[in-house]
Formats: sequence, C-alpha cells, structure tokens
Amino acid sequence: MTSYIIRRLLYTIPIVFGVLLLTFVLFTLVGGDISIEIAGKGATQETIEEIREEYGLNKPLFLAWDSQFINHFKSALTFDFGRARDREPIIGKIKRGVGPSLALTVPMFFGIVIISVSLALVVASVRGSIWDILAVFICVAGMSIPYLSFILFGQYFLAYKWGLFPVFFSPDLTMAQYVALPVLIGIAAGLGGNLRFYRTVMLDEMRSDYVRTAFAKGLDTKRVLFKHVLKNAMVPIITRVVLAIPFLFLGSLLLERFFGIPGLGYLMIEAISSRDYFVINAMTYISAILFVVFNLITDICYSLVDPRISLE
Amino acid sequence: MSDSENITRTHLPKGRSLWRDGLRRLRKRKFAMVCFVVVLIYFSLAAFIYLAEFFDWRIGPTLWAEQVGPSYAPPSSVNYLGTDIFGQSVCRKTLYGTKISITVALCASFISIAIGVPLGAIAGYFRGVVDEIIVWIYSTLSSIPYILLILAFAVVLRDKTIFGYKITGITAVYLAIGLTSWVGICRLIRGEVIKHKGREYILAAISYGCSERRIIFKHLIPNVFHLIIIDFSLRFVAFIHAEVILSFLGLGEADRPSWGAMINDARIELSRGVWWQMAAATAAIFFISLALNIFGDALRDSLDPKLRIQ
Amino acid sequence: MFIMKRKGKKLLVIALIAITFTLSGCNSSPSEEDSDEMVLRHVLFTKIKGLDPGNVRDVYSNTVTSQICETLYQYHFLKRPYEIVPLLAEGMPQISDDFLTYTIKIKKGVRFQDDKCFPGGRGRELKAEDFIFAIKRTANIKYLSQNWSMFDGKIAGLDEFRRITKGCESEEDVDYSREVEGLTASDEHTLVIKLKKPWPQLVGTALADIATAPIAKEAVYSYGRDIVSHPVGTGPFILKEWRRGSYVELIRNPNFRGEPYPSEGGPGDAKAGYLDDAGRIMPFADRIVWTVIEEYQPAWLLFLQGKVDNSPIPKDNYNEAITETRELTPAMKQRNIRLEKFSDPSTFWLGFNMQDSVLGKNKPLRRAISYAIDREEFIEIFFNGRHLVAHGIIPPLMDSYDPNIKEKGYARYDPEKGRELLKEAEKINGGQLPVLKMAVPGTDSFYRQFGQFLKRHLTAIGVNVDVEYMDWPTYMEKVNTRSVQMFCSGVRASIPDAEDFLGMFYSKYWAPGSNRFNYLNPEFDKLYEKIEVMFDSPERRELYRKMELIVLEDCPAAFLNHRVVFALHHDWYKNYKPHAFAYGMSKYRRIDMKKRAEYKDLLKKIK
Repeated sequence: MTSYIIRRLLYTIPIVFGVLLLTFVLFTLVGGDISIEIAGKGATQETIEEIREEYGLNKPLFLAWDSQFINHFKSALTFDFGRARDREPIIGKIKRGVGPSLALTVPMFFGIVIISVSLALVVASVRGSIWDILAVFICVAGMSIPYLSFILFGQYFLAYKWGLFPVFFSPDLTMAQYVALPVLIGIAAGLGGNLRFYRTVMLDEMRSDYVRTAFAKGLDTKRVLFKHVLKNAMVPIITRVVLAIPFLFLGSLLLERFFGIPGLGYLMIEAISSRDYFVINAMTYISAILFVVFNLITDICYSLVDPRISLE
Repeated sequence: MSDSENITRTHLPKGRSLWRDGLRRLRKRKFAMVCFVVVLIYFSLAAFIYLAEFFDWRIGPTLWAEQVGPSYAPPSSVNYLGTDIFGQSVCRKTLYGTKISITVALCASFISIAIGVPLGAIAGYFRGVVDEIIVWIYSTLSSIPYILLILAFAVVLRDKTIFGYKITGITAVYLAIGLTSWVGICRLIRGEVIKHKGREYILAAISYGCSERRIIFKHLIPNVFHLIIIDFSLRFVAFIHAEVILSFLGLGEADRPSWGAMINDARIELSRGVWWQMAAATAAIFFISLALNIFGDALRDSLDPKLRIQ
Repeated sequence: MFIMKRKGKKLLVIALIAITFTLSGCNSSPSEEDSDEMVLRHVLFTKIKGLDPGNVRDVYSNTVTSQICETLYQYHFLKRPYEIVPLLAEGMPQISDDFLTYTIKIKKGVRFQDDKCFPGGRGRELKAEDFIFAIKRTANIKYLSQNWSMFDGKIAGLDEFRRITKGCESEEDVDYSREVEGLTASDEHTLVIKLKKPWPQLVGTALADIATAPIAKEAVYSYGRDIVSHPVGTGPFILKEWRRGSYVELIRNPNFRGEPYPSEGGPGDAKAGYLDDAGRIMPFADRIVWTVIEEYQPAWLLFLQGKVDNSPIPKDNYNEAITETRELTPAMKQRNIRLEKFSDPSTFWLGFNMQDSVLGKNKPLRRAISYAIDREEFIEIFFNGRHLVAHGIIPPLMDSYDPNIKEKGYARYDPEKGRELLKEAEKINGGQLPVLKMAVPGTDSFYRQFGQFLKRHLTAIGVNVDVEYMDWPTYMEKVNTRSVQMFCSGVRASIPDAEDFLGMFYSKYWAPGSNRFNYLNPEFDKLYEKIEVMFDSPERRELYRKMELIVLEDCPAAFLNHRVVFALHHDWYKNYKPHAFAYGMSKYRRIDMKKRAEYKDLLKKIK
C-alpha cells in the first residue's frame, strides 16, 4: 500500500510541473508585457523599466539560474505567492475568499449529492414507468437550459420581484442570508446532469447478473436497491463526488460574479479581467495541487471499497 | 425434394454492420428522429445565413441591424419578440445568433476532435514514452478547472497575431474551447485503442506486415468512429453553453448578435422589466440543447454493441 | 457500511449547516442601527486600490484617502467660481518677482493622528519637512508613483534626485535626507519651493492634490509595503477598517485640530441651507462607511431602502426617479429625496490618431465622421438625455468656455454634409476608403451598445467601420503604442482651468502621454508654451479660446458630450453641495438624525 502511495505521489510531480509550465507559458510568454499598464498614464520609459525590474520581468525567460521560469517555479513550491497588483499579499486574498466560497459551494455540493443520489434510487426503483421517463426528460431539459438563465431568472423572480432573498451581496448581511439564493440556484441547475448520471449508474448495476439473481430469489426492489445496488454503485459515485471536491474551493465563478459574493471565484474573474497574473498563477497552482491530491484519495478509496480493484 | 432446392432455400443471413443496425434501431425511436429534425433545422438555418451573407441577400436575419421599432418595444403582432435598445428586432437577432453558436460549436468540435483523436490513437497504439507524454499533457490540462482554463486561454489569445493572422474575439473563443476540450475524446479513444490492440484482427494485421499507419487509420479508427460521433453530439451542447458563458464574460463576438450577448444585455434589462431578449435567447439555446441531448442519447443507445438484438 | 454511510452523510449535513450559521454570526460588519452615532453611508462602485496618498490616482481611492490626509491648500467648499484657500498652510504663498520661488508658511500645532508608529503612540506635530518628504517620495523611482508626471521637470533639483534613486537597490534604500535645491524648509514651519520655470498651476494642481499630502515618515518606514492600508495623516478622520473588496470604515480623529465650517458661500447658498452650520467645528460625523457594490442595481435598492445616503441614478432606473421635465417623480418626492444637478467638467470624444496614414492627412474624412454622429440621440439613449452636446474641447464649467462655441467646429449632426465630404475624402485617399478600425475600451453591455451605435451612424454615411472591443489593459497598450485608428475616450478636469484639456494637443505629450491623438501643430505648440507660464488673466482666456479654435479646425476628434450629473440624496444628508474638484468633503456633511430615524416609518406609510 505504501509503495503504491509513494508511486502515485511521485507521479503527481510531473503533473504539477506541467501545470506550472502551462501557466508560465500562457501568462508570461503569450500574455504579453503588463509593465506598460502598471505604469499608468504618462509614464516615461524609465518608469516602465523600473517596473520591469521590480517585478522581475527583465530577467531571461528560461535559461538561467535566475530566470523567470525558475522564479515562477520556486515561488510556487514554497507557496510564496507574493503580492497581487494592488500590493495586497495574495495569501491574504485567498484567506479572505475561502470562507464565502466554501459557504456557497459546500451546501450546494451536499444538496446536489444527497438529492440526486436519493432521487436516482427512487427513479431506479420505478424504472421503465412513466415517472422514470418523465424524470429523465426533466433532467435533460434542466441540462439544456443555460446556467446563466437559471441564475438570471432566479435572481429576477426570487430576489428582485418577490423579494424573498437579497438581490446582491452586502456586507451587513449574514453569510446565511446572502448565500441562500445562490445555493438554491446552484442546486437546481446542477441536479439535472447529476441525477441522470447517478440514474445511469444505478441502472447499469441493475442489469448485472447478481441483481437478476437477487430478483429471481424473490427479493423486493427496495431491498435490492439499498442492500446491493447502492453498495456496488459506490465506486463511480465516490469517484465523481471526490473528484468534485477540489473544485469546491474555487467557488462557483458565475454565481459569485452574479451575486457579488466575495469568494475565490470572484477573485479569479477579476484577476483574469485585470490581467493580474500573479493571482491567476497562484490560484491555478493551488487548484491543480488540490486536484492531484484528491485524485490520489479517490484511488485509495477505490481500493478500500472494492477489494477487486488491484492497486496497480 | 431435390438437392438443388435445398441449396437454394438455405441462404446465409445478410450480415448487418454496426451502422446499418444502429440506423435501424435509431429510426425506430420516433422521438429521437423528431429531435434530429430539430437539429437539422438549426444547422440549415446557420448554413442559410452564411449563404445569405455571402450573396448579400437582404432578408430576415441578415437585416438584424435594421431599426424596426422603438427602443425596447414589447412583443407584439408587428415584432413577435419585441425590440432591443436600438429598436432592432429580437426575432431577427435570435435567428442570426444561430449562426454564431453553431459556428463556434462546430469549429470547437473540429479542433478538439482533430487534436484528441490522433493523440488518443497514437498514445493507445504505441504506448511507452509517447503514451506517457500524451497522458501527462492531458492530465495537466484536466487538473485545472474547465471554466478557468477556457477563460485563461480566451483572454490570452485575444488580439494576438499568430502567423500573421489576427485572432478576433470569436476566433479566440472557439480556439480556447477547442484547445481545452480535447481531453475527453482523447482518453476515450486511447482506452478503446488499447482494448482493440489486443484483439485478433489487429494481431493478424501486424503479423502480415501491415504498416502502423494503415493499422491505425484503416482498422482502429473506423472501429471507434461511432464513439467519436457520440462524443461529438454530446459535446456540441457543452460548446454552445460555453460560448454563452464566454460571451457573457465579455469574451465573445461583440459586434454581431449572439445568444450569449443577448443574455448579457438582459441582465440589466430585466430590472427594467424587459424580459423578451432573455426569453428568446434562452428558448433558442434550450431547444437545440434538448434536441441534441435526446438525439445523442438515442444515438449512443443505438450504436451500443451490447444492446444489439440478434 | 452502507448504513453508516447514510447516517454519516446526514450528520455531515447537520454539522455543516451548524457551521455555516455560526460562521455567519462571525461575519461582523458595521452594524446597521447604531444609537446616537452620526454615520455617513456611501457606496463605492469599484474596489479602492490603496490609501497611500503618494500613489492614489483613481477617483474612489482619492475619495477615501482625502478624508484621512490633508493638503496644503484646498478648494473652497461653497464659493463659486472655485477658489483656492489655505488648509494646512497659514495663508496664500508668497511668490517671488520672477515667479520661481514660493514661500509657504505651515499652520502651527497641527498634529498627525495617533498611531503606533510614533514613539509613545502619540502623533507628532506637522512640520515643513513632511511636505518635502512627500514630494521626494513621489520622485523616488523605486516607489513607482503614478504621480511623478505632475512634477517632471518642474522643481529645481528634483529630477536629479530621481536619477539618483535609480541607482538604489530598493525603495527603502533611498536616502531622503539628500538635499534637493528646490525643496527646502527655511524653518520648521516654512516651506520654500524653487521652480525651474514659472508654474502658475503649482498651487491648484500640485499643492491641492492628494499627492502632496504629508504622510508621517515614521509610518512609511514602519509599515513598508503595507502603507497602502495604514495611512497616517492629519485629517479629520482615521482609518478603522478596510476590508478589501467589501467596505472601508473611517472614524473621527479624536486629535483633529478642528476646522470651522465656512461662513461665506456662493450665491444662493444661504437659502439652500448650506450656511446653517457656519462657524461650527468640523467634522460632524462620527463614522463614515463606504460599501463596495459593483453593480448599480443593488446599490440603487439600498439607497431606496435608506441604507445609503446618496446615489447616482442608474440608467435603467432613470424613469423611476426623474420625469420628462427633468424633475423628481412623485415616488421620489414621497420619500423626501432631493435632486442635485451639476455640470461635470468633462468631455468625451471619438478620437482620431493623427499619425495614422488614412485618417491623419484626410481632414474631410474626419469632418465627415464628426457630422455623421447624432449626438442628441446618443445622449438620449445612453444618458437619458441629461448630458450636453460637446462642440469643443473645453467643458462649460470652465470660465474659458466659449458660449458661442456651438457655431464653430464640426459637432453638428449633418449626414448630408457628411456624405458630401466623404466624396472629397475619397479623392484625397486616391480611391475607396478602407475599413476603419475603432477601439472601444470595454466589452460589457454598455460599451458594446456604444460601439454599435457609432458603427450604425458611420455606416449610414458610407464609412465602413470595424469595431474592436478590448478590455482596458489592452486598450491602454494600443493607445500608448499609437496603434489605434479611432478610439473612444474622455477626460475629466481636476482643476478649474482648461490647461490640461489643451495639453492633450501639445506635441510633446504624444502617447504614452496625454496627447493620444498624436496631434502636431507648431502654432498650437507655441501658444501652449506661452500659456504654460502665464497666470490667470483675460489674455490667457483669450489665448485658450484661440487654441481651441485651432484644434477644432484640424478636427482631431469628433467631440461627443459633456457630462451632467444628476445625483440623489436623502433629505437627512445635509451640506451636500456638489463640488467638481475637491475630494475631502466628508467633514462638511451632517446627518439630521431625527429625519433619518423617521425614514423607516415613512417607508411603511408609503407601502
């Protein structure tokens, strides 16, 4: 087991390196020179040169010990992300944003998982019936509506017109208040795809031999579902659930943007539009690390849940 | 009975290829065929608009910039879907938006298939170092959240000049989407190729000295082609939605009406009570997505060899 | 195992909800209903970038920082036409006969706010040295201040100082005690500034600008880079909390020396109630809170609910608030909301790059484009018809504004004339005109519609345009590298003098300077160098108008509009007289606590 873990950890190194390389290439090589923009209006060539030195932009790109890429690499590994364009330490920004983001995504996540798994069980038990077909249709319909429309309609009707929720984030609201509507919308929008997936998983299981045997033995549907199908369907379910966790940290980019929730997603969108590469690099790196870590956890969970899966 | 009669009466059943069989099963599902027709309608509309623009016909959608009524007029018998801020017809804008969305989704699909399929096949077939590298590339790409990746690419690619060709807004969009979405199909193809590689017919081909290129292109890819088709139909919807999000974030086609831009405008308009632009764009996206989803599902079921009825 | 999983999930959910609620409780913020505290509440529409006076450039950061840090001089709050009066200075400066030396006496007994950077925590007395430090700091190239362009080439010895700082390792290594000839203190409370050539705008531009506000040296040294969030000034308010991206909170500075509310004002001020607090010691408010809300809709809702004291009118709620006759609607009057209209000293235009091969040499083309735009319709659609059409560069607020400017220039809507001129333009171009490119600095809804509007009008007279929507950084880069053909831009005056506006056409200020048009006219340049060193006088004003006419003739831009602001405020928000140039206005404001408390009941009655 330990050797497996070590091997997997080793494998994450090239991935992390790959992510760092990608962000570097994207934002430094292709992204262009931001020093002119930092310098502001009426800046002389001198000031622009100063800025380049300050931000290390005048160093060679790759082939030196002190190159930009090495520095990029170093700062990532030591988690020293430096300061953003507005001089605030990036760690500070991240710390501030994590709370609101998690307050949004975690309830949404739980809501979606619990509701869709439960509903999938229900739908699987009535498979083939009119309810099943209706459920599938509703799911597909839900998946066909653009995410943005969900948000806009939700915001317009539930908040603006009927005043059930606050329209927008405001510092004097409690977290529960300003997160409620976005969470609801997020769950509504995410149910369709998830329910369909879990239903498919359940149905696939139900087609297998052992289930047919169970039915032949005379067990009723409910018992079959809960005792056998659910357990075996756990593998794909867990995969999906655990792999979704790293993305919880980034918040929901769209929901945060719309409702003004000051989380990491909002931070990302701002950083992208203001070309704040320092922030973008830091956040991308962190999410990649999280992703890689959770992949490892998933694989370990696999082995725990299903002894048939060898740790190769 | 004579021997000749026996011989003429026994004949081998006609072999049914996966495609023939699939098509037959598909045609049986009436609802799916209706959806296919809907999809065709959208595509034809887009093609029609291209033609109209090329030949400079002045009808309907190409005249979206014409002022047909006062600013923000609600839907009426004159303007079925109302007007926007400049008095332009929302109906025409929605129809025009079809061209943009279909183009983006099509281009992005081609790019992602053009990258994903060859890479997946090569990785699956040759294994070894080549495989490791390709897997490394797509693992790296998939560890970054999708929206983030697309956003980052779109922002960075904008206004850049590559090989003398300037990348405009909408081109950046489908380049960004295409360059980041090939991972799924690549994985799929790679998995299938690995599976097929061990099959007898491939081993046979290798044994009689078939060149690798021939094996990949004449044997393997045709056998996984149905997966490509299925992936294409399901991805298409995702690409349309991605264009909407990118337009909303200000990265899409800014000069011409697109569904994403209409929804973006709607954000402010809704507070004024102007709901028709939003409704029109959402409906347009909804129907194509629904149709493609259902058709794609049906396609998948029809082409699934496990479900073949013998 | 399965049962545990189910239960486990349930427990997790409960735990999570519990955590969320407790977390929400921890999310403290400036509380709503406060007892007797007088609190001013405003909205910021973008995040502020920092509170370090030496490097503040954007409007919102300036708004907040100006309450904490004061300058030598300020614009009189009430008097119109705008007048400079001393704030931290003892009186107006003594100017030498050759206009090169300014001797300014600093008020005695002014103290910095208490802060832990001072020994014993007690703020020390303000000295002339502090102003010298502030200006030297701007010159420090390592500090990367955006305000340096204000002083470039103006003060004796300062440019050399800047050159020396180039050789330093970092910002902290710079030796500020190094002598600069043009900045000396003849005694603890007397500042002497020596200029290289006459600079009539010194007092109005530099000494009233937040860039020269003194900041305690001790604070700069002890906080280093974090000075952006720890300003230490002499002003009536001090920073309590800046929660980035959320809100900024200031509280009254207990050691403020106290300034009396002005007893004189402009015409009509007494009647309007602006002199009711004459002579009383300021500031009146105990706290100020600015909430960051980046969308107009929610901010508007907060204003209607009474949670915010004042608000601009979002374009889409205009009809809710203002009638056809430009007055308040009954809905607003019911809420006792007041309207202030004022003319903003700004001009917006569609500019042409005069160095562009197609546009630069083709005057008929530029004029044609100018004739093609229906400015009235533009203002009607985008600005609810509030703004004024811009016929020239100089906005109406300036006294150099020519009331007859309407007859001159090419800002009329005349598509017929435009088409005629276009024929001439084609001849000059030697054939059909190519597709022109227009750069628009934004990709959101407003800019998209803006671009489309201009495109429609230009296409109508036969000019084909390709509109490029870019985000701000890309736009700035293009403009600064002179690679645009047409661009949308505008400027707002920061002093009641049109010199900055005219400076935009001075050839030495070509991009990346303020002359984004890359306009070159030797006659204009000569006149500009002349007025640069002239003090305000009727001759100077005449010269301004002459220069404006020269520019109009050459048509380097299609001028569009001058802004007119309609601002609403609740009737409990007193002493709100819109000021076009000054920022440190919060000290004048007062809340009528009784009226504010009654607003809730008022709202209930309306419903």
